[in-house]
Amino acid sequence: MADSPAPDLPPGGTGTAVATAPGIDVRGLRRAFGTVQALDGVDLVARAGAVTALVGPNGSGKTTLLLVLAGLLVPDAGEVRVAGVDPVTQSRAARARTGWMPDAFGTWDSLTAREVLTTFADAYRVAPAAIPGRVEDLLATVHLSEYADRPAAVLSRGQKQRLGLARALVHDPQVLLLDEPASGLDPRSRVELRVLLRRLADEGRTVLVSSHVLSELEEMADDAVFLSRGRTVAGHLGDDAAAARRTWRLRALDRAALVAWLDASGVVWRADADAADGAVLLDVEGDAGAAALVRDAVTAGVPVVSLAPAGGALEQAYLALDEERR
Amino acid sequence: MGGRTEDVVTVDGSTRTDAGSTGVDEARGVTWHGVRTVAALELRQRVRSSRWKTALVVWVVAVGAITLLSSGALAALSRTESDPPSRGPLLFAIVTVLVLGLGLLVTPTLTSTAVNGDRAAGTLATLQVTLLSPAEIALGKLLAAWSAALAFLVASVPFLGVALALGDVPVAALPRVVVVVALLLVAVCGIGLGWSTVAARPAGSTVLTFLTVAGLAVFTPVFFGIAFPAVTQTETVTVHGISPEQWQDLDGLELENGAPANATCETYTEEREVTHTERTWWLLALNPFVVVADAAGTSPGAGMDAAANRFDPLGTVSEGVRFLRAGPPDVQEECWIEDGSAVELPTAGAVWPYGLAANLLLGVVGFVVAVRRLRIPQRTLPRGTRVA
Repeated sequence: MADSPAPDLPPGGTGTAVATAPGIDVRGLRRAFGTVQALDGVDLVARAGAVTALVGPNGSGKTTLLLVLAGLLVPDAGEVRVAGVDPVTQSRAARARTGWMPDAFGTWDSLTAREVLTTFADAYRVAPAAIPGRVEDLLATVHLSEYADRPAAVLSRGQKQRLGLARALVHDPQVLLLDEPASGLDPRSRVELRVLLRRLADEGRTVLVSSHVLSELEEMADDAVFLSRGRTVAGHLGDDAAAARRTWRLRALDRAALVAWLDASGVVWRADADAADGAVLLDVEGDAGAAALVRDAVTAGVPVVSLAPAGGALEQAYLALDEERR
Repeated sequence: MGGRTEDVVTVDGSTRTDAGSTGVDEARGVTWHGVRTVAALELRQRVRSSRWKTALVVWVVAVGAITLLSSGALAALSRTESDPPSRGPLLFAIVTVLVLGLGLLVTPTLTSTAVNGDRAAGTLATLQVTLLSPAEIALGKLLAAWSAALAFLVASVPFLGVALALGDVPVAALPRVVVVVALLLVAVCGIGLGWSTVAARPAGSTVLTFLTVAGLAVFTPVFFGIAFPAVTQTETVTVHGISPEQWQDLDGLELENGAPANATCETYTEEREVTHTERTWWLLALNPFVVVADAAGTSPGAGMDAAANRFDPLGTVSEGVRFLRAGPPDVQEECWIEDGSAVELPTAGAVWPYGLAANLLLGVVGFVVAVRRLRIPQRTLPRGTRVA
């Protein structure tokens, strides 16, 4: 157990401890519900100190994977380590280190936001003296201070979502598992969520986020894991994105001139069927290829208006998966 | 990749041995802190809903009204009699049966949706992933429901006190009834908690809990009645009394003049139908009403005026069920000629400890089932449910 922290290590350590802190490590995970194979061989590594996006179509097993990681489900096969601890055999130790926010959750309608957080701080055995301050901080973090003493029943969906996030953070967990945290949030709250998750990751925590809001994920995620039909599918993001071949969207003032130049220079292109502005889509080798393309087009006198990646890298990878949607 | 895999195997080997020791002691951990946290959560959620307050008010009004009305009705009835029976025992029985009956109706709703209702509302899993143990969650929910049930019981104590004030009921009967009803209600709480973890839907577990309570309170006497012919058989019994031969010797004139002077009691045997209720008495003992009636101890005992004109339903039930438990005696005592006093009915010991123990056992079974079903991580899920 030398590689695993002591059971009652104060969460959110600093300095060198963070650098070596284990994140989430999943190998060959399988889980079936009756005849439905929800997870069919998942391999996943989520680094500590990074935000990892979990992307996949509906029914691809994202929620099931998070349930296994949260220690609620026993996997049929495979190895799982959350913060270096096995959530099956060392359930309690794993739960102490994990903050989980489910995609669909209820609130105790008669309790106030403050009471919900206080109850969960008690349930996580936070030292009683530290609870009032901790609850106050969390309420401020998720901007619910003015609703602290109102019953949860009157909170809006987005406010409940933020309360749920505060609840997942109440015991200062090392690993955060967030299932669709952005759903129901207004744009401002989404930005704040992004900033908050970034900050939590920078503090050395492991953050695993599933979401359908891919542009959001792309802005905050360091890594991405793609799930399809219960399997992890190779996906790339971050460092690779700059060099990888991907689709770009090119638009010019004069579509005819653009098309003529593209055909003349032998570039394979296709029309962007989704847009009415006459833009074309073409595959380009990394950022360097895109820069060369702009230079050549401008040199050739094509009135280029914009060249931008078509959708995000995540979105493109996601759409590739979406074709296999069940 | 090969090197990494090897690495995992070593890490795994060392963690597994460690996990064995930590895994065992964490599952059964129960701390007052954890139980209190869950109970406080449950009570806050329930007590603040106005429905609950309304229910308590309706309860007090209903029990109070029935107590006062029946008290008044009894007073009006007894005015026409020259030697009216004491109203105390009858009113005490009415209030006791009312409180237990309404308690058995209200209590199942307090726990029968405790777990699957939370699951449906999406609040169970978030509680399970905290450091609370399954036993703490189950115990907290049980404690909260029992406290709510006790609130109803405590609200009824004044009316039992009114009945007590009318006299002829031993003072000890009040605490005895309250304690036994409280224990029966905690058993019902446990049964409801168990069903709420077994049935996927709140409606299902509520029905199952009510059926279980109805099985105890209604079906047990029915089954006792159904079983009656099965334990009735014709056999040779020993009788102590005036033998049929003596009756044949007497002529009609002598009988008309009263008891024959020369008749003597003797022991003889005869073929008779005998019902062996000592084999089926336990069916009645399971009944919560019988348990309370037998445990109340309202029968005239030491310090009570045995000759007082009293109509005591609880005492009658108690004597009856003890008589049934004893079954047919070895020698039927039918010698009525020697003195005018009533023949002592053969009775067995108290019935309520068995019934109370059986009810509490059902509650414990429900509680244990709940704890087992609340354990995480789960291997199997109830059909048609999601974890979260």
